[in-house]
Amino acid sequence: MGSEQPTANALEVRDLTRAFGMRKALDGVSFDLPGQAFLSVFGPNGAGKTTLVKVLTTLLNPTSGTAKVLGFDVVSDAVEMRNHIGLISHNPLLYPDLTAEENLLFFAEMYGIEEPHVRVAELLDAVELDHRKLDLTRTFSRGMLQRLSIARALLHRPEVIFLDEPYSGLDPHAMDILDGLIAAVRDKHTFVMISHDLDKGLELCSHALILAKGRVVLFEPREAIDEAVFRDTYRATVGLGVA
Amino acid sequence: MASLSGRQFRAMVKKDIVMELRTKEMIMSMGLYSLLTMVVYFVALSQTGSNFDPRDIAAGLLWLAFIFTSMLGLNRSLVHEKDQGCLEALLLSPVDRPVIFFAKVIGNLIFLLAVEALTIPVFGFLFLQGSSLDIGSMALVPLIMFAGSVGIAGVGTLLATMSVNTSGKDFVLPVLFIPLMYPLLLGAVSATAAAITGGPDAMGGFWIGMAWVVGYDVIMLLASYGLYEFIVGA
Repeated sequence: MGSEQPTANALEVRDLTRAFGMRKALDGVSFDLPGQAFLSVFGPNGAGKTTLVKVLTTLLNPTSGTAKVLGFDVVSDAVEMRNHIGLISHNPLLYPDLTAEENLLFFAEMYGIEEPHVRVAELLDAVELDHRKLDLTRTFSRGMLQRLSIARALLHRPEVIFLDEPYSGLDPHAMDILDGLIAAVRDKHTFVMISHDLDKGLELCSHALILAKGRVVLFEPREAIDEAVFRDTYRATVGLGVA
Repeated sequence: MASLSGRQFRAMVKKDIVMELRTKEMIMSMGLYSLLTMVVYFVALSQTGSNFDPRDIAAGLLWLAFIFTSMLGLNRSLVHEKDQGCLEALLLSPVDRPVIFFAKVIGNLIFLLAVEALTIPVFGFLFLQGSSLDIGSMALVPLIMFAGSVGIAGVGTLLATMSVNTSGKDFVLPVLFIPLMYPLLLGAVSATAAAITGGPDAMGGFWIGMAWVVGYDVIMLLASYGLYEFIVGA
């Protein structure tokens, strides 16, 4: 597991920097997150939230610094690490010209899942889409796509789940289903969620992080957070604008 | 790990074929473009004098059509992956980047060969009717078509991956792709011309052109293999 011994922390981020040309989207970000924690990441548009998730999910390489997820280095252990992480984004990350079942079976092959049909049927049932499994996903509503996207992210039973504004554009029913799915696996998984919704983010989190201009403004466990002070800090941060 | 890579590779190629059979976007656009190019060639060359022998330029015309046609398909093949973030989902899975690269190359190669198989008989009907052709040497045309198409698909897949994230992808791909195709064209046109002309003297030229194209394929595929991980993570 990883290039070094695993630690109790699910995430270890040290002086992480990611630049796009001259602009630093992440600028010396450092924090540790214990296992089975739920981290909500807040910040204005352009603060570096999505870049942070992309680096932690191996979609982008850091410019400097290190990040480990479950002890796996995001650069040197990237392929192995991907077996242990899942991403639910505001984008469905699904092929519109494949059916719901074909999409999940395809990704099951990507993860080398044994008995893929059994696992896919189980997840289609969990997200209440088994009756639409033979339909192309281009015919799905936003909520249905998001439910299928959740099934895709959970296919390989990841230990760390990243959520990039997962509630964006969902109707109340779809939000309830997402809430239920998160609650069902909440105790056994580590979550990292990007959100603009302070109430939802604070309700779910065990830790909160505010990013602005690619830097950590605040990182605290939930119990240490004074909600009024936190909201003031967030409002002041949003006023900083983009990085 | 090797068997998992094999499963992943087969699943990606199958997925591309299933989606293409369903939408027919690449085959239709490439096929139609290629056939229209043949018609334009035919109309333009119908104004030439009676001494004109189409066999003299047939190889060049064919490869020009394939190069331009392939750009349509290459762009489409990666746009499919970008739709709704599918490429991100693919990159999130524990698949080695070269496996993704080679699966996309094979998918693009299959579609390109399908379009070539459609175009060559039309080309023959329009331009080579009545010409004296050496059937033995003409049988080598598919060989050079295949070798040349491997190079087009390999380099094109890499460049399409680079350009799909740029705002001017329709402009960036040709600007990068066409100069890199120049060495391939030299060998492919020369070998195809030798196969069409036929005769014992032409065979030497065919195999020299063929060796040139195979060398290009090997070098460019290895270079693309080495660069692909860097490009998708950049």
